[in-house]
Amino acid sequence: MADIVMKGVSRDYGHGIYGVRDADLEIRDGEFMCFLGPSGCGKSTTLRMIAGLEDITSGSLSIGGRDMTHTRPRDRNIAVVFQTYALYPHMSVRDNIGFGMKMRGVGRRERDARIVAAADKLGLTKYLDRKPAALSGGQRQRVALGRAMVREPDVFLMDEPLSNLDATLRAEMRLELVRLHREHGKTTVFVTHDQVEAMTMGDRICILRDGHIMQVGRPLEVYDNPVNIFVARFLSSPPMNILPATLAEGRINTEIASFDLAAAQKQAYAAARNRPLTLGVRAEDFYAEPGIGRVAVRGRLQVIEALGAENILFLDIEGQQIAARVDRRFLPETGADVVLHLDTAAIHLFDAETETAFARPDPESLRA
Amino acid sequence: MSRASLLRHAALVAICLVVALPIFWLLRTSLVPPELSYDPRIWPEFSTENYRTLFAGNGFGRNYLNSIIVALGSVLLATPLAALTGYAFARFRTGGKAARFAVLATQMLPPVALALPTFMIYRELGLTNSLTGLVIVYAVVNLPFLTWILMGFFEGIPADLEEAAITDGATNWQAFLLVVLPVARPGIAAAVVLGFILAWNEFLFALILSGPSTATVPVALAALQTSNGVEIGKVAAGVALAIVPLMVVSRFIQKYLVRGLSFGGVS
Ligand SMILES: Nc1ncnc2c1ncn2[C@@H]1O[C@H](COP(=O)(O)OP(=O)(O)O)[C@@H](O)[C@H]1O
Ligand SMILES: [Mg+2]
Repeated sequence: MADIVMKGVSRDYGHGIYGVRDADLEIRDGEFMCFLGPSGCGKSTTLRMIAGLEDITSGSLSIGGRDMTHTRPRDRNIAVVFQTYALYPHMSVRDNIGFGMKMRGVGRRERDARIVAAADKLGLTKYLDRKPAALSGGQRQRVALGRAMVREPDVFLMDEPLSNLDATLRAEMRLELVRLHREHGKTTVFVTHDQVEAMTMGDRICILRDGHIMQVGRPLEVYDNPVNIFVARFLSSPPMNILPATLAEGRINTEIASFDLAAAQKQAYAAARNRPLTLGVRAEDFYAEPGIGRVAVRGRLQVIEALGAENILFLDIEGQQIAARVDRRFLPETGADVVLHLDTAAIHLFDAETETAFARPDPESLRA
Repeated sequence: MSRASLLRHAALVAICLVVALPIFWLLRTSLVPPELSYDPRIWPEFSTENYRTLFAGNGFGRNYLNSIIVALGSVLLATPLAALTGYAFARFRTGGKAARFAVLATQMLPPVALALPTFMIYRELGLTNSLTGLVIVYAVVNLPFLTWILMGFFEGIPADLEEAAITDGATNWQAFLLVVLPVARPGIAAAVVLGFILAWNEFLFALILSGPSTATVPVALAALQTSNGVEIGKVAAGVALAIVPLMVVSRFIQKYLVRGLSFGGVS
């Protein structure tokens, strides 16, 4: 059992600067939890507090039911994979991987056996006697992983471990990390600023902003029901389009289109009536073809990014900048007038002032 | 060879001559009979008399040994202390900029200001005319400088490394000894060499605190400027010998020294 429970945890750097503030979070035993957020939002600070590398200035932390708020890192039985890998440059791969076991007094025989097994699993057997300087980035990354795994810790803490790899290798390691996690089943906290990593790897994701936890949940759950504009925009690429809007008599009015809500939406958004709103529409909720529940919008194409599998259109619609992700076969000329069709069932509504979301209707009720 | 490169080489040769000439003349003066020291001819006659009388008559061997003991001893005493202090300054909350500046500020005192009080303290303690006394005073005087150098070095080592060691189960001491120190080896080597050279060349403290049996090389050489004139042949011989350890040490450690002073870290 190694669940992690944080209660009101803060890291105060003094002078009113907080790395993290009042964080309440429960990470379940065996869970793969992703911390996601832009640079400087407090992901590393939170991870480092769990590791014991950063003081917790208020609040409490427990790991596996034991209070560890002020426990030394070496007594937490956690393993950290650093963004820079932090391999010991003067030691061979073998000694790097074995260092933790040596410190914990594991006998030479068992140490060697475990090093060999880990190296085998990570494809490092050939490199055991090399120094880190003589390894490629990907290999160093694997050594850092091996060093963490071989100790069989209760918890893995990884701070942007893939951010120094090239795109292909990163995609590979993503799968590999998930596979390894499935094998060892240990609680894992994975920090990233890349929403694709978080969405694809996490059992759950925790989104942070300016030292505050915004939302915690399963990736698709959060994607479909972001609690505020920040989360909504951060989780989609290109970021969710937002526009000023109002809701009156069951009808949404915006610069780019006006349309009637479905019955279930009217009910769900009752509280949003007659106040300043922000409408959110994801790029993929625009279509080239008309359809049921879609409303036409018309604008001038400014830029098109043909990605191969799909096209991203950047349009000016009534002075609003809109990004749309459409089928690859829809390939208009730059500067052309384009008609797109917005799926009104997929919209998000936010309070324009607080930027918090109005709860969306159950998707089932919309389909009916 | 092109004209330009010919010119460049000519310039380099000229510079080398300017640098090498005094050293050559030093060797030449030491290896001619004393009465020909000031002879204008390049090498009128070969003789080792200066060296022989320097050792036999003046007991230069003793001075040489003293210098080695004092320089090595002080550097062996000061470097570990400087490593610990520099590490503390680099990694922990230790008084911030003010304390760092204080370390450096000690270097701005003229040595004379310390030499006389030290002499008086040493007289009370009975440490004058002893090698131990010199070892201690050199270690103390060089400590701030070595601390400063090593601090820069430790700051260049990513803190990740120690954090990795600590989460791997190492104590702070183990992280320092098993990870930080080995990684800082070029810096330590640079500090050792500089500390050795500083102690080897030191004159003022040695003059005031040493006695006949504990005089170091610089003191012994100064003593050759007698009331009967300067014994330039012997001085030349002594200086030539005094240069040897410096050449050996810096040659041996050149790659470390360059890395140590220029990069100040690992990448
Ligand atoms: N030692 C420190 N002193 C003051 N502020 C710090 C310190 N370390 C981090 N911070 C601040 O805390 C915030 C969170 O940092 P961090 O957790 O590293 O962000 P990230 O999400 O990019 O990992 C940042 O605004 C950063 O400037
Ligand atoms: Mg970070």
